[in-house]
Amino acid sequence: MLGLSYRSSTFTQTLIEKYAYRSRTLATLRNIPLQNQFVNAYDVIILGGGVAGAALAASLVSSPLMKAKKIALVEAMDLSRVQQWTPTSGQYSNRVVSLTPASRTFLEDIGVWDRLFIDRIRPYTNMQVWDGISDARIEFDTSIFSKTHQNVSEPPAIAYMAENVNLQYGIMKRIRAAQESGQQFDIIDNTKVQRVFAQGKDGEKEDAIDLSAWPSLELSNGQTISGQLLIGADGANSPVRAYADIQSLGWDYDRQGVVATLQLDPATQNVTAWQRFLPTGPIAILPLDHGISSMVWTTTPAIAAALKSIPEQDFCALVNVAIRSNPADVQYLCQQIQKSEHGLDLQDEYSWRQMAQNESKTSEEIASREDRLPPHVIGVQSGTRASFPLRLRNSERYVADRIALVGDAAHTIHPLAGQGLNQGLRDVQVLSNVLTNGVKHGEDLGNIHLLSQYASNRYARNLVMLSACDKIHRLYSTEFGPMVWARSLGLRGVNAFGYLKSEIMKYAMGIEDVKSKITPSRERFVNIDRL
Amino acid sequence: MVAALGETTGAGQLERLRNKMLASSSGRRILRTRPTLSTETIDLNYLRSLSPATFGNKYVSWLDAAGVSPDTRTAVHYVDDPELAYVMRRYRETHDFFHTLTDLPVTVPAEVALKWFEWVQTGLPMTGLSAVFGPLRLNSQERQLLRQSLIPWAVQCGSTCQDLMCVEWEKMWEWELSRVREELGIWPAPNNFEESSRVEA
Repeated sequence: MLGLSYRSSTFTQTLIEKYAYRSRTLATLRNIPLQNQFVNAYDVIILGGGVAGAALAASLVSSPLMKAKKIALVEAMDLSRVQQWTPTSGQYSNRVVSLTPASRTFLEDIGVWDRLFIDRIRPYTNMQVWDGISDARIEFDTSIFSKTHQNVSEPPAIAYMAENVNLQYGIMKRIRAAQESGQQFDIIDNTKVQRVFAQGKDGEKEDAIDLSAWPSLELSNGQTISGQLLIGADGANSPVRAYADIQSLGWDYDRQGVVATLQLDPATQNVTAWQRFLPTGPIAILPLDHGISSMVWTTTPAIAAALKSIPEQDFCALVNVAIRSNPADVQYLCQQIQKSEHGLDLQDEYSWRQMAQNESKTSEEIASREDRLPPHVIGVQSGTRASFPLRLRNSERYVADRIALVGDAAHTIHPLAGQGLNQGLRDVQVLSNVLTNGVKHGEDLGNIHLLSQYASNRYARNLVMLSACDKIHRLYSTEFGPMVWARSLGLRGVNAFGYLKSEIMKYAMGIEDVKSKITPSRERFVNIDRL
Repeated sequence: MVAALGETTGAGQLERLRNKMLASSSGRRILRTRPTLSTETIDLNYLRSLSPATFGNKYVSWLDAAGVSPDTRTAVHYVDDPELAYVMRRYRETHDFFHTLTDLPVTVPAEVALKWFEWVQTGLPMTGLSAVFGPLRLNSQERQLLRQSLIPWAVQCGSTCQDLMCVEWEKMWEWELSRVREELGIWPAPNNFEESSRVEA
C-alpha cells in the first residue's frame, strides 16, 4: 500500500522533501515547544524489552552516531525488577541461554559483557552428544583448536551458559549509563500496546512533520507514539509483524521443552555440556555452576505436563533414567507417570535398571561408562520446572517499510543446538550496524532499501540454521533400524574426522576464524559496506 | 560400525526382545524376578490335579503325551549379559506353552509352522533360520500344507497376538485354555493334517 503511493511521482517528491527535513531536524527541533504528536515522535521505537530488543537498544546507544537520535523501548513487563535483580548464590533461574563466542564478542563490543554478574556465567570447552538408541557419540572439545592453530594456547569456550535475567540486567545497566551520558532514550515499561497502526492524514498541519506514514503505537497508558522506524522484538506472536502483514511460515513440533535447574552430585566435576537424543527428542544437561546444571528435555506435551507435576524426587529419578537408561525403559516410565496412580517407585525402578545394565561389567567398565555420562541428578531447585512449546517459524520477510523484525519475531528455532538467542543477537548486531551506517550517510532509518541490507544479510543464514536443526530433529525422531544405523555411522564418522568436526564447531560457535575469536576485536563486527 | 551392525545380529534381536519386555508392566516383573520354569518351580502333579479344561492340565497332558519335561532344554551359553541370557532362557522355557496354545503337535511341519510363529513374534535369527530351512526336510505335500495354511496362520496369529515374552504363564494354570487363548489373542492352527493329505490324494 505504501509502496504504491511511492510510485506517484509528485507525492514522492513531497515525501522526499519532508523526510530530508525530518531526518535533519527531528533531534534539533526537540527542545522547541511542540504539539503533542511531535513530542511522541521517535527515530526508533523498539517494541519488546526481552534480550533481543534490549540488546538492540544497548547496541544502538553504544554508537556515538546514535547520540542525536531519539529512541524508545516499549515493554509490557516491569523492567525495574530486572534492574534491581540481586542474584542468590547457588540459585539459578530456569531461563538460561548458551551464548556462542560470537555472541560474547558482540556483548563485549556494546559494553554489556562487563556489566554482567560474570561469576554466574559458565564457559564450557567440552560437549558430548550421543544417540540414545545406538549409543553412537560425538565429542566436541575445543582443545582440538590448540592442535590445529598454533596461536591458540588454551582451549576456547564452546559456549557460555548465562541466565536471561543476567543478560537483561547487564543490558539495562548499559542503557542507563547511556541515558546518564545524555542519550535521548525513553524506557516505556509496564505498558502494553493496544494497537499498532499507521496514523491517518486528518490531524496533519502544514507546519508539523508528516507522521502519516509512520507506524504508531497506542499504549495502555493513554499515550500514542510514532516512530520513523518500528522494530518488532516482540516475540513469536509479534504484533508488529501482524501490523506489517508479514506472514510467519513454519510449523509446530508436537513437542514441549521442559526446563529445570538441577542439583548434581557435587563429587563429580561439572564442566561438560551433555545431550542425549531420545526418540521423543533430546535431553540436554548444561553446566551453570559446580553441582548445578540447567536441563532442557524435549518431549511430547503429555509427558511434559506429567514431568512438571510429579513429586521432585520422582522427577530427579526420571531425569537420571532419561540420561542413563535404555530408551524402552524411558518410554515405559514416561507413560506410567501420566497415570494418576502408577504405583511405581521411580527411584527403585531406576536403581534396578542401573544394576541390570552394570551386572556383567567390571568395575573399570562401570567407571569408564560413568566418565561418559553427566553427574547424577540429586535434586531440582523448587519452582524451576516449566515448559514451552517448540516451533519452527521464519517470517516471509524481516523488513517492510519502516518496520524491521528481530529475534523470535523474525524466526523461532528448535532449541537442540541452543542457537535461538544467538541468532537473535546476530540479527541485532547486523541491524544495528545497518542503522548506524544509515545515520552516517544521512539516510532515512525507516527506508526499506536501508533495512533490506539487514534482511539480505540475515535471512538466508537464519534459514540455513533453522533447517539444519530441523533436519537433526527429524533424523533423531525415528527408531527405524537402517536409519539408526546410518545416522550412527555418520556421527561416528564425523567424530573421527577432526577437520570436519572443527568446522562444525566453528559454525555452531559462530566463528569462522578461530584467531579472531581468541582475541575478540571490533573487526569482528559484520562489515556492512562489503555487502 | 561393528556395534551398529550388531543391531541386526542375534544380540541385537535379544536386546530388542528385552526392550519390548521393558515396555510392559508384566514384562518388567518377569525381568526383575527372573522366574524359571522347571520341575523345581512347577508342581506337575498339581497341574495334573486341575480340571481337564484348564491351561495347566492341558499343558501337563501335552508334556506327558510328547514325553518331554520342562527340564529337557539346552542351557544358554553364548550370551554374556545376564539379563539377555535370561531373556533367551525364558524364550526357550515358554516354547512348550506355544504347543498347548496352538494345538500344534511335535511333527516336522508343525514345528516349522511354530518356528514361523515364533519368528514373527520374536524376530530371533535362529527361529528365522529354522522357519526358512526347516521345510527342506519336508515332502511336497507337507510343504504345500505349510504354504497354504500353516504359514499364513503363523504370520497372522503371531503378529496380532499379545507379546508372549511378557506373559506371566505361572499365573494362568487354573484358567480354562479357551480363556487363556482369548486373553492372548491366539487361535489354534488349522488342524487339517489328515484332511489335507486326503485331499491331495
